[in-house]
Amino acid sequence: MSILGPLLLGTFLFCVGIYGVIARRNAVLVLMSVELMLNAVNVNLVAFQDILFPQDAALSGQVFALFIITVAAAEVGVGLAIVLNMFRNRASVNVDDADLMRW
Amino acid sequence: MQWMEIAWLVPILPIISFVLIVAFGKRLPWKGAELGLLSVGAGLIISIGIAFHTFTNSPVHALEKSFDWAPLGDGFILELGMLVDGLTSMMFLLVTLVSLMVHAYSREYMHGEDRFTYFFAMLSLFTASMLILVIANNTLQAVVGWELVGLCSFLLIGFYWHEKPNQDAANKAFLTTKFADIGLIVGVIVLSKAMFATGTATPFNILELNAAASHGDLDMGLVVLGTLMIFLGAVGKSGQFPLHVWLPDAMAGPTPVSALIHAATMVTAGVFFVARLYPVYAQNATVMAVIAIVGTITLFFAGFLALVQDDIKKILAYSTVSQLGYMMAALGVGGYTAGIFHLFTHGFFKALLFLGSGSMIHAVHSNNISDMGGLRKYMPYTFATFVIGSLALAGFPLTAGFFSKDEILVSAQLWQGEGFVTGPIVFWLGLLASGVTTFYMARAIFIAFFGEYTPHAHHHGEQDHEAHADEPSPKVPHESGAWMVVPLVILAVFSLGIGFIGSPFWSKDSNFEQWTATEILEETTYPFIAGEAHGDDEGNAEEEGEHGAALGSSGVVAAPAAVAAAEGSDGHGSGAVLHGPPKFHPDVAGYALVVFLLSVGAAWRIYGRGKPEKDPTMHMGGFTTALQNKYWFDHIGYHYIVKPVRDRLSPAAYWSNQEVLDRIVKGAGGVTKRIAESTYTTLDQKVIDGGVNGAAFSAAWWSNRLKRIQTGNVQRYAGAIVAATIVLVLVFALSN
Repeated sequence: MSILGPLLLGTFLFCVGIYGVIARRNAVLVLMSVELMLNAVNVNLVAFQDILFPQDAALSGQVFALFIITVAAAEVGVGLAIVLNMFRNRASVNVDDADLMRW
Repeated sequence: MQWMEIAWLVPILPIISFVLIVAFGKRLPWKGAELGLLSVGAGLIISIGIAFHTFTNSPVHALEKSFDWAPLGDGFILELGMLVDGLTSMMFLLVTLVSLMVHAYSREYMHGEDRFTYFFAMLSLFTASMLILVIANNTLQAVVGWELVGLCSFLLIGFYWHEKPNQDAANKAFLTTKFADIGLIVGVIVLSKAMFATGTATPFNILELNAAASHGDLDMGLVVLGTLMIFLGAVGKSGQFPLHVWLPDAMAGPTPVSALIHAATMVTAGVFFVARLYPVYAQNATVMAVIAIVGTITLFFAGFLALVQDDIKKILAYSTVSQLGYMMAALGVGGYTAGIFHLFTHGFFKALLFLGSGSMIHAVHSNNISDMGGLRKYMPYTFATFVIGSLALAGFPLTAGFFSKDEILVSAQLWQGEGFVTGPIVFWLGLLASGVTTFYMARAIFIAFFGEYTPHAHHHGEQDHEAHADEPSPKVPHESGAWMVVPLVILAVFSLGIGFIGSPFWSKDSNFEQWTATEILEETTYPFIAGEAHGDDEGNAEEEGEHGAALGSSGVVAAPAAVAAAEGSDGHGSGAVLHGPPKFHPDVAGYALVVFLLSVGAAWRIYGRGKPEKDPTMHMGGFTTALQNKYWFDHIGYHYIVKPVRDRLSPAAYWSNQEVLDRIVKGAGGVTKRIAESTYTTLDQKVIDGGVNGAAFSAAWWSNRLKRIQTGNVQRYAGAIVAATIVLVLVFALSN
């Protein structure tokens, strides 16, 4: 099996994630885009492990992907908490409104 | 040896006592006097220890200890240290003993004085200064002590500063000696220049200087200049002609101070310093001749001045000048031992005489002998001790002054034996002046102590300031108390007996001559005397004896010849500086005795019945006028030195200061101010401040624009990160 397919999938997912982070206004959607980017990386890791280093008994690529999923879950937890607080304070989840940390 | 090791304590103790008296003196029961007595007394004990050691082991090996005071680099070191040998020891004994006597005496004499504590502080400092000079192992340290002595004398002469004449006397003493001190400093520097040529690190060291001089290592021109310049300093300090004028005026100070100045701490400094550097002085016949001539003029002319004085202290002052002349003349005719022996004995009897005169002044409240008379009955101790002091001063046989003065005359004879014309001059003028000395002392004693006491109109003299002045003047004088009499008696004992250590009666192995002989001096010879020590002593001595005989014209000449031969055969070369142990010189003693008896006889004839109606010394025509005007020295000094300086030089200096120096200073100030102003307006205000402000303004301007990048919009930041990543990826990709 060629590695090209998974890499193209990863690239596509990553680009969609970047687009979502930069272009969407809704903070929840931004968080979801970040998840997309992380999963693009996971696809890459699993693909490299499975195709390029199948004989690695430790399966480090897959294990690493698992860790990333865990960290992503934690990150979403924190991120959603922030979003919730923001909504409670200003009745909005628009990231453009959260611009107090400027000059 | 231990006594010599702690010699440094002797000057340190009075310094400590000076500080303590200044700090706490007024709170002490004796108002500071006890500190002075204690410190000088301890110094005296140490001095006696040192003197005993150096005398019994004489000639002792000089002990020198010093530390580097200021290492100036390039192998040039200024030292601070001590040099203890017989000469130091002799001066220690003299200074501490006389100082202790003066301290004890002053406790009664100055009692009730307003500035009693100050007086004792100054006495301590005065003593310390002299001891610093005496102990110095290098000429620079000696200069320090020398100047301190000058300062203390100024302060003490001006002790009664609230009266103008006393201020003037203090100023006169200070300025006169200060003028001479210029010579001292120049001389010290010139000699150090000569020492630099030998490559030493310590060019001011006295031992090295003496050794180098006696080995002939120094440039003769520098030696002559240096020694003459130092001699100028000694002329001022030791009251030699023509700078003696300050000494009689210095009588304005309290009498104990006069005793200290005249006996131990001030005027002896010059003679001591010349003696200290004697191996250097011995290098050149001209220098020796100058010293001898100046000394002779001083000893001869100063004595006559005492004849017409009525003030007892002035009489003693002129006699001091005259005796200092003897010392200098002795040094000038090769009588090193004679000169300092006379310094030593003179210290005791002159201190005695001054303290005795103070006792008389204390009793009658007047300085004038014409106001005294008949004091013999009222003041037996003062009378006896004063007579003893006068006998010693006049050189009565077997008193201290007899041996030292005879030694000087003998030295002059020996010098004549070497063929120097200064020898007979010193001998005959010295003999004549000793007659004058005897006469004026006899005159003072006969007038003051004999005859009848006549109460006098109260004179406004020095005593007005003293404690007893406010008491009603007593009807008859009375003897002074124990604090004043005991020092007189002690000094009288010394005046009678101390001469024996330098006399032929004493042991030949350890006598005064051996005591004060230094190692370098023993091997020093006069380079200008032909024959030297290396030659055939006997032959030379005889030759020179014949030479002396050819010079002379009377019976005396036989004596120098015999003397020279005797000295020569004693193992000393004719060129040697030291003469060897003293011998009997019946001829010299005979002359001295005849002169003494003639003078006393003349004085008895004139003054034996108290003060005559017409004092013949006041009726000698022009001579009296000359004497009363002090040979017009003060007149000449006033009209040709003080007045031109005051009326011409000072205004000129003032004018040049105001018109020239001040203009220059003012101009320089104006220019500086203008430069400063333009610097302020252009450089500081425009360039520097502009730069600083510009930097600040540009920073503000840029930050105002740059801050807009920070929008606070997270998505813009993310976009920027992506864009930057893409750029970096492209860069890496393309660069490969």
